[in-house]
Amino acid sequence: MLEVKDLMVFFENALALNGLSLTVNKGEIVGIIGSNSAGKTTLMNTLSGLIIDMRIKEELRGGERISVYGKVLYKNKDITLTKPDERVKMGIVLSRERHPIFPESSVVENMKIAGYLRTKKEIQETMQYVFELFPGLTKYKKKRAGFLSGGEQQMLAIGMALIVRPEVLLLDEPLLGLSPMMQKSVVDAIRDLNKSIGITVILSEQFARPVLPMIDKGYVVENGMLTLSGTGQELMDNPEIKAAYFGV
Amino acid sequence: MKKRKERIDRGIKARSGDIFALSSYREMMYLSAPRFVPIIGFLILPLLLGVYWQKVLLSVAVFALLAISWDILAQTGMVSLGQALFFGVGAYITGALNHYWGVPPFISIPLATIFGGIICTLMLLPVLRLRGIYFSMVTLIIPLMLVRVIEATKIFGGTEGLTGMTPLPSRWVEVYLVIGIMLVCLFGFRRMMDSDYGLVLRGICDNDRSVINAGINIYWYKTQALFIASSIGAFAGALMTHVYMFVGMPVFALDYSIFPIAAVVVGGPGTLAGATLGACLLVPLSEALRGFGGLRIVFYGIFLVVFTVAIPEGIFPYVQRKYNEFERWVEVDK
Repeated sequence: MLEVKDLMVFFENALALNGLSLTVNKGEIVGIIGSNSAGKTTLMNTLSGLIIDMRIKEELRGGERISVYGKVLYKNKDITLTKPDERVKMGIVLSRERHPIFPESSVVENMKIAGYLRTKKEIQETMQYVFELFPGLTKYKKKRAGFLSGGEQQMLAIGMALIVRPEVLLLDEPLLGLSPMMQKSVVDAIRDLNKSIGITVILSEQFARPVLPMIDKGYVVENGMLTLSGTGQELMDNPEIKAAYFGV
Repeated sequence: MKKRKERIDRGIKARSGDIFALSSYREMMYLSAPRFVPIIGFLILPLLLGVYWQKVLLSVAVFALLAISWDILAQTGMVSLGQALFFGVGAYITGALNHYWGVPPFISIPLATIFGGIICTLMLLPVLRLRGIYFSMVTLIIPLMLVRVIEATKIFGGTEGLTGMTPLPSRWVEVYLVIGIMLVCLFGFRRMMDSDYGLVLRGICDNDRSVINAGINIYWYKTQALFIASSIGAFAGALMTHVYMFVGMPVFALDYSIFPIAAVVVGGPGTLAGATLGACLLVPLSEALRGFGGLRIVFYGIFLVVFTVAIPEGIFPYVQRKYNEFERWVEVDK
């Protein structure tokens, strides 16, 4: 479904991603595991096309020059140069790191903005589904999103990505800053999404313990390079992974 | 094999960036030339120019001062639309002192600089807590309001203005005084913005809550920045009053608010040198275009648009980058 070939991303002279290749099949949950500055967010931005926008903005400001080499294939079509909004129409939707939402709008309004591409009926249906998925959000429907707690904002951010009805959902650190309880409910929700609607999910995470049990395939990224890959079980049994990402 | 353009600091820059252990005239030149070119240029130019262009140079320096004052405020996170307020208050203070009490210019100008700064700071003190567009709105409105106050109450000569100021001793004193002060402001405040004090000011612009978290009273620092910026503007106004030997309502004109912003945008924000460079380009350009009559503003506008679209980062940062770094093609390897 989604294929990345020899991806290299430079931020000026610094190499953020180095010869990264990975394949994602339909209906899989794929985890990208890596520590700080491993290149997880850069990979997510490249997959969603946001890096094209960043490149143009930096160029105008005379800042860092961002160069991307390699290929991103989606359904066997080269989308390396496709703009982020086009990619959303094709079905690739990213929920960015640190749950960016519209703080001045209410929860329902947030979802309506995010679902601009869909019809009213579709939005209603998906919203219903999102509130079933995250029951915690239901009582805040009319509340301004900026006043929600971090975990609720994260749920809302995922909900906003779902409203677009993606085929591939990119989640950049969905568990960042959440309590173990919240982490569990988000993980359960992701698994539920994958099982019930069959969305392909790619998620990046630093702390591997809650993520590894649910993923079909995992890639471990270090300094922009792929160091290990395997199924969730394989990675869980790997002593190096245990030492580095399990905190034991 | 794919190729990629690489940006590297020049050798001299890399060697001279941290330690000033210079080994050759070339390296000394490399460091000092960008500083000496504007200094020597500004000091020699009045000798070469005729009376008319000397006046243009004078207004270049005055607008450069206003642009520096705007840039200092902008770097502290206060986007002002009212440089005319500082200019006008300075102008009226020195005008009143000179007209009513006969204070000589060399005393009234420094007085106007300091008291102009204090008065403007006090006027803007209540809105210091406002951010972004709200602060801009208030700074835009106050000078427009003051004009009407003067018109309605007929204080300070009302619509006629005050005339018969004591001129400065000669046109050489005028031009070298303003150029000297401008150069001192440019290099002095550039150094200030690079010091720890400037770091706090720039931090307020970046993320004011983090600065509060560092245990710093941002309003006190903002007040200081406001005082510095308004003093610079007040000096420019006071000096121009004695050059024109007149002070009236035009000192609160919108030109003095908008022009410095255009200069900073063209020259490059956040460097102060960019502000000066912008004024050096825009003021003579606006004079040179006088031949076009009514179309002058059109050409001027086209120039502004072309520049902001072509080099949005500003001329100075662009030139600075080209001076300090070079680019070369390298192979992308794994």
